[in-house]
Amino acid sequence: MLNTPTPELLNQLKQIVGPSGVVDQPQDIAPYLVDHRKLYRGATSLVLRPESTEQVSQILKLCHAHHIGVVPVGGNTSYCGGATPSSAGNEIVVSLSRLKRIRHIDPDNYTLTVEAGCVLAEVQQAAEAADRLFPLSLGSEGSCQIGGNLSTNAGGTAVLRYGMARDLVLGLEVVLPDGRVLDDLNALRKNNTGYDLRDLFIGAEGTLGIITAATLKLYPLPRTRVTALVAVDDPAAAVALLSFLRSSGSDALSTFELMPRIAIELVCRHIAGINDPFDDTHPWYVLIEASTAQLTDHLTEELSEVLVRSQQNQLVREVLLAQSSSQREFFWRIRETIPEAQTRAGGSIKHDVSVSISDLPKFIEEGTALCKGIAPEGVMVIYGHLGDGSLHFNINTPDAGAHPEFFAKKTALNNAVHELAMRYRGSISAEHGIGQLKRDELVEFKNPVAMQLMHTIKQALDPHGIMNPGKVLAGD
Amino acid sequence: MSKILVCIKRVIDYNVRIRVKPDGSGIVTDGVKMSINPFDEIALEEAVRLKERGIASEVIVVSLGPTETQQQLRVGLAMGADRAILIQHDTAVEPVTVARAFLKVVEQEAPLLVITGKQAIDDDNAQTGQMLAALWNRPQACFASRLEINGNSALVTREVDDGMETLEVDLPAVVTTDLRLNEPRYVKLPEIMKAKKKQLDVLMLNDMGVPVSQQFTTLKVSPPPVRQKGVLVKDAKELIDQLKLKGVLQ
Ligand SMILES: Cc1cc2nc3c(=O)[nH]c(=O)nc-3n(C[C@H](O)[C@H](O)[C@H](O)COP(=O)(O)OP(=O)(O)OC[C@H]3O[C@@H](n4cnc5c(N)ncnc54)[C@H](O)[C@@H]3O)c2cc1C
Repeated sequence: MLNTPTPELLNQLKQIVGPSGVVDQPQDIAPYLVDHRKLYRGATSLVLRPESTEQVSQILKLCHAHHIGVVPVGGNTSYCGGATPSSAGNEIVVSLSRLKRIRHIDPDNYTLTVEAGCVLAEVQQAAEAADRLFPLSLGSEGSCQIGGNLSTNAGGTAVLRYGMARDLVLGLEVVLPDGRVLDDLNALRKNNTGYDLRDLFIGAEGTLGIITAATLKLYPLPRTRVTALVAVDDPAAAVALLSFLRSSGSDALSTFELMPRIAIELVCRHIAGINDPFDDTHPWYVLIEASTAQLTDHLTEELSEVLVRSQQNQLVREVLLAQSSSQREFFWRIRETIPEAQTRAGGSIKHDVSVSISDLPKFIEEGTALCKGIAPEGVMVIYGHLGDGSLHFNINTPDAGAHPEFFAKKTALNNAVHELAMRYRGSISAEHGIGQLKRDELVEFKNPVAMQLMHTIKQALDPHGIMNPGKVLAGD
Repeated sequence: MSKILVCIKRVIDYNVRIRVKPDGSGIVTDGVKMSINPFDEIALEEAVRLKERGIASEVIVVSLGPTETQQQLRVGLAMGADRAILIQHDTAVEPVTVARAFLKVVEQEAPLLVITGKQAIDDDNAQTGQMLAALWNRPQACFASRLEINGNSALVTREVDDGMETLEVDLPAVVTTDLRLNEPRYVKLPEIMKAKKKQLDVLMLNDMGVPVSQQFTTLKVSPPPVRQKGVLVKDAKELIDQLKLKGVLQ
C-alpha cells in the first residue's frame, strides 16, 4: 500500500532539489495535473524538478523507504494519460525538464549522450550541428523529451527506415525505484553480456524507474531528400505501391504515410495557409520521402522512374514531386497538421493500432464497416504510418457540437476496433503506449503469460509499487 | 507572338545552415544543397501563368552559373518553361556582368517582358534586374506584388513604405518579383519527365564578348556573433535590475 507524504517528508524532498527545483503553488502545479488530450485530471501537492541524476536517486530512495508513489513526467505529450498523477493526490510528480545537458557527442562513433529532459527537437539539432542525423521524428518533437520518447518507445514518421525509439538507443542511465543508479551508458553496437536490461526500461512508461540519460545512435545526415505527394485509389493500391517501391531498389525510402481525402479536406478547412495542391480530388493520398547522405540527382531520377512506371500500371493516379524545400515543407505540413485539424473539427474517438502491412487494406475496410454500423454519424479519419503497419484509426464527431450520444458509443467502438485488431494478430497500441487509457483493455487483449511476466518483473524491480502507480499494470 | 524571358539564379537552398569557411574567405558550398532562388521561382510561375492565359507564346528560362545549374533550369522547364539557356561560367560574377550577359540573350530573343526575382537570397544584391533594364534602355518595375499586361503596357503594383503603388510601364520592360506575387505550383510527375526532353542551350560566358569586371574584392566573411544564452528572472523586479545592469534602463 502506498502512503500519503507527511508535511515533514515533503520538506525533506524539497530540500533535495533546493528552492529552484520545487513547484508547490497550485497555479504552478496545474499544468502537471492534466494530460495533453485532457482526458484525465489528477492531483498532487508537490512537483520536483531535479537537476542531476544524484538528486533523482535521493528522491527515489526516500520515496521507496516511505512507500510514496512517484509519477515521472517529460514533455507531458502522452496520448494515454501516462504522465498524469492519480486523482487521489498522494503521489508526487518528478519532472525531468531541468535534466537537459547534452553530455557528449562522438561523431566518429555516431553516438550522442543526452540527459532525459532534452527536448527531442534539441537533440535533433545537436546531431545536425555535428553533421549527423538523429532520426526520431514526431509531431510533438518541439515539446516531448527524450526520456519520454524512450519511456514510451515512440514511433513517428521515420520508423520504416530507422526503427522505433528502442532501435535508436545503445546505452541508458536509469535510477531504479530504490534509488540505485544503473549506469549502462555504453556506446557499443555489439555487447552480448547477459540480459538486455536496457530494453526493460524502454517502453516501460516510467513504471520500472526513471531514465536520466541515454546514449543514442546517430546516422549520416541526408543531403538529398526527394519528397512526393501521391494520389491513389485505395489503401490496397498504397500497399502495392510500397511493395513496388521497395522491390525496385528504393532502399532510401524513409517515409510512407497514408492519408484519406477527408484529412486533406480537414487541413484545408482548419489550418491557415494550406490548400489542396492537386487540381482534382482523389480518395487517398500517400506522402513518400526517400533520402540519402549523398548530394545527388540520382535519387530523384530513380524515384521518378519508379513512380512513372507505377502511374503507367495505374497503381497511382497522380504524383506531385516537391521542387523546393518550401514545397517539401508544405507536403509535410499537410501530414503533420492532421491531428490539429481533427481537433478543430470536433471531438474524436481515437485508436492507435497496428497490423501487418498486407492486412491493412482489409483491416481498414472491415473496421470502417464495423464503426459505421455502431456510429453511422461518425466521420472516419484513418491515417498513419502505413510504411510500418500502424494506423491512427479515428472516428470524429460530424461537427464541433458536443454529441453526447456519439461519445456514449466509445466503449463499443473501442471494443470493435481492438477486437478486429486482435483477429489480425495486431496491436491495440502501436506507438502511444498503455498509460491509464488502455490499462484495463491490456488485460483482455494481451497474452496471459506475458501479463504474468510483466507483473513478475514489476515486483522484482519495484516491490512497493511506487513507480507511476496504476499505469500499464493495475496496482494491488 | 510574344516571348517572356525569366532569369533565375542557382543559390544555396534556404534551408541549409550556412557555414563560413574557417579562413574567412567565403562560405562553404561543397556538398551543399542548391536550389532556384525563391524569388526567381515566383518569376517563373508568373511567366508560366501569363502563357497559360494566352498573353505570351513562349517562356524562356535563362541562368548564369556553373554547369550544375542545368538542374535548376530543368526544374524551370518542369514548371512550364518552353526552353532554357545556360550561360556557363564556373566562378561567381558581379551583378553588372550578369546583367550584361542577360542583355545579350535579350537582344537575341527580343522578349516582350523580362521577369526575375527582386533579389537573390545568397548575396542580397537586388541589382541585376535594374541594371539589365538600364543597359537595355527599357522601363523597369521592381518588387511587383501584382502584374497585369494590357497590350503594349503593364500595370505593376508594388509594396512601398506607405502602402501600394501602381506603375504603368511600356513594354518591353523588366519586372522583378516580390514574395506576394503568387505561389509557385506543384509540379506533376509527367511534367518532370517531359522537361528532360525540352531544349536546353549552353553558351559560354567567355565566348559572348561580355566584359567580366571585378570591381569588388571580398576582404573577409565572418559568421554573425553567437547569441548569448538568455537568463531566467524570477520576477519583474529582477527583470528591471537586470535591464539596469545591462544599461538598457537608466
Ligand atoms: C501532436 C502529437 C503528435 C504525436 N505523434 C506521435 C507519433 O507520431 N508517434 C508516437 O509514438 N507518439 C506520438 N505522440 C505521443 C507522445 O508525443 C509520445 O508518446 C512521446 O514520446 C511522449 O514524450 P513526453 O516527453 O511528452 O512524455 P510524457 O508525456 O511526459 O510521458 C510519457 C510517459 O513516459 C513516462 N516518462 C517520461 N519521462 C520519463 C523518464 N525520464 N523516465 C521514466 N519515465 C518517463 C511518463 O511517466 C509517462 O508514462 C504525439 C503526441 C502529440 C501531442
